[in-house]
Amino acid sequence: MTNIDHKEKVVIIPCSGIGKTYGTVSREAAYNVTEDLRPEDTRLVALSKLVLGDEEARSIVEGNPAITIDGCKLACATKMVQCSGGRIARDYAVLDVYRRYKQFKPQGIAELNEGGEQLAQALANEITQLVDELISGKRGEDNG
Amino acid sequence: MTDFLEFTIDKFTFRTATDRFYNDEGVWAKPENNYVRIGISDYLQQRSGDVAFAEVKSEGTTVIFGEEIAVIETIKVNISLTSPVAGKVIEVNSAMETSPEAINQDPYGTGWLVVIEAAELAIDLKHLLDPQAYFAKIKLEAEQEVKKE
Repeated sequence: MTNIDHKEKVVIIPCSGIGKTYGTVSREAAYNVTEDLRPEDTRLVALSKLVLGDEEARSIVEGNPAITIDGCKLACATKMVQCSGGRIARDYAVLDVYRRYKQFKPQGIAELNEGGEQLAQALANEITQLVDELISGKRGEDNG
Repeated sequence: MTDFLEFTIDKFTFRTATDRFYNDEGVWAKPENNYVRIGISDYLQQRSGDVAFAEVKSEGTTVIFGEEIAVIETIKVNISLTSPVAGKVIEVNSAMETSPEAINQDPYGTGWLVVIEAAELAIDLKHLLDPQAYFAKIKLEAEQEVKKE
């Protein structure tokens, strides 16, 4: 079990799929956590930066535990973090999250409907709880 | 062991199992003695996207040919699936409740939907496509769509 050094932040890497509802949900949840819920403990990294080999993004991912949020089964965020040498604390798939919150049916792309916003909020809440556990050292980074 | 007909368009390969019949929508019917197992084709599942939920008619329900047998919700669409045979639902795949992704992962196997005790199987089969006819239909459909792009 690995505890997080107090100087570390949890890195959130959402799906970069443009034009896909589930990709939008993943990004909304990520923004919610990193900008509103836990700005002090988290940092957002754009998947496209990892794809382009951005050194700073790669360095951040290598040095901090990561939470990935994938919009589809291609799981680009998770795969790219793995390829970049990152340590994935938890990989979320929006479809799996939706199965847990059937009442929040996401629709829309540029703008989510109410169900999509609620699903993003529910996912953000789950991620926030995990971030808190990681930061407080209650949880390891081994997907367990 | 099931044999398949298959074709590839762009990066997608579509398989059609040769041991069953199909309706126009892509719902398959596989006769098993007096019963008929029902599911959806690989082509239909790939076109529809990842399945989030599947709601299937419960055991004991009587359906007529062409009546709704299940509704699946995918990341793209909600689809009403019609029964390719008339009869009584005698078994529902419990995996549809807990892991409907089986439809995507194994549409001709573990992703089956229901088993129906057919009332008029011989008559219903006359209205279904054999695997070769279904294969030709979807291949033409896919090729025409590619030409439009």
